[in-house]
Amino acid sequence: MSRPTVTIISADGAASQDTHPLPQVFKAPIRPDIVHAVHTGMAKNRRQPYAVSEKAGHQTSAESWGTGRAVARIPRVSGGGTHRAGQAAFGNQCRSGRMFAPTKVWRKWHQKINLGQKRFATASALAASSSAALLMARGHNVSTVPEVPLVVSSTAFADKAIAKTAAALALLKKVGAGADIEKVTKSRKLRAGKGKMRGRRYRQRRGPLVVYNPEEDGSEIVLACRNIAGVETSSVYSLNLLQLAPGGHLGRFIVWTSSAFAALDKIYGSTTEASALKKDFLLPSTIMKQPDLSKLINSSEVQNVLRPVRGGAITKRTMSQKKNPLKNKQVQLRLNPYAAAFSKNGLGHQKVEGGKPTTTGEVFSKTLHEN
Amino acid sequence: MSNISSDLIWEVTRGHSASLVKTKTAGGQQFSRDPLNLKNQYRRKYEGMVSDKAIGVLPAENGGVKLLTKKTNKSHAPASALQISTFGPAKSTRKTYSAIVNSTTKRSYRPDLRASAVARASAIRKSQKPVKEEKPAKLRGAKARAAASA
Repeated sequence: MSRPTVTIISADGAASQDTHPLPQVFKAPIRPDIVHAVHTGMAKNRRQPYAVSEKAGHQTSAESWGTGRAVARIPRVSGGGTHRAGQAAFGNQCRSGRMFAPTKVWRKWHQKINLGQKRFATASALAASSSAALLMARGHNVSTVPEVPLVVSSTAFADKAIAKTAAALALLKKVGAGADIEKVTKSRKLRAGKGKMRGRRYRQRRGPLVVYNPEEDGSEIVLACRNIAGVETSSVYSLNLLQLAPGGHLGRFIVWTSSAFAALDKIYGSTTEASALKKDFLLPSTIMKQPDLSKLINSSEVQNVLRPVRGGAITKRTMSQKKNPLKNKQVQLRLNPYAAAFSKNGLGHQKVEGGKPTTTGEVFSKTLHEN
Repeated sequence: MSNISSDLIWEVTRGHSASLVKTKTAGGQQFSRDPLNLKNQYRRKYEGMVSDKAIGVLPAENGGVKLLTKKTNKSHAPASALQISTFGPAKSTRKTYSAIVNSTTKRSYRPDLRASAVARASAIRKSQKPVKEEKPAKLRGAKARAAASA
């Protein structure tokens, strides 16, 4: 079950001889609850304040007419000579009135998220990205991917080799990410609603996330991938949960460069060794060492303490099919022991004793029919 | 991966998954688009994407059926994770079913899915038969016959 090494895929898409031991962060516990909660908070921290105008609905000198005029006591627009005069104003139920509880720019837009939880969620999202089933459940098309986690040799990125979009696209297709990019391109739809005029004209799926190591791979890959639909890039030193688990759902398809992959152990450390870059951080350890339930149930430790199965090897079947005794000889014998002798002696085939009855004769018949 | 089991994957994905189709009718029946799901029902037993071992039966391109099984040692390699064998239209249906059973149940590979796999293969083969043309309706009465011949 445990897979200690990951093959490094070369630039032409074939598996190279090189392998890399799986970084410890991939052994982190999968916790969708933590990832979801942290994602919700982080998504809120990206918001910009909005509010209706402070004056909206109050730019009139309306006053209530008071009681006694057989109209509601809501403030009414004063004056005459226009339809507006005498109409109700200010209230949230009025036409051209202010909204109920006008929105304010000083709403509490941001959420504080505990740093420990953020780091936990990131580690958990990274660990989930190593499960092909979770990638497929997120909707990534990984049927052509040779291995997850997908690690591409950093030699492919050396000397600014991937500085152009065409080169980046060709590389991604070679390593099996083409199907996922195709899915994104096909998914592009015009957004429903007002978002179209607010810089969010189209909706599309998310494609692969390319994680690189800026110190060794350079950051040309960012510009090269910028115009490929759905492909995002991230430095391995600044991974973001919003990219690792979009929508709070685990299992983003990540394309690693081998130097970024190698840097993971330095960045996240292990459950016992502190991270070199994050202050006071140890990777969270799993509470259950064995998450496979059937293995737990069938383990000798559990099976040894269970009471033995009652009834032994042969038990009476409660739901058995009823057999027809007229057709099934064995069932018939059980019900009618005489059937054996009956059949052996051929009693069912014997002629009636005394043969056929004699006729009554002509005289009898004549007498019978006489009028 | 030692920290991810199929039980865990099911708990993570049972609420939302790319293959899950939620319906509002029929009591909120949940369907699945997973090719490795024999009944198209989103349930732990049938959801093949989640399980280590799973069986899929799909119509083959040129008639007949395709049998997909998951290789347990390739769970981390999606490109080579599926074993695909095709039983063509020339093979009799009974032989197709026994071939499916021989390569799965008889090798202790998901014996619980035996009946579903055979039923799906049977339904696929039945759907591939040419559609019988309906007999023209028999005309009733002399007037109708006269009207038809005129």
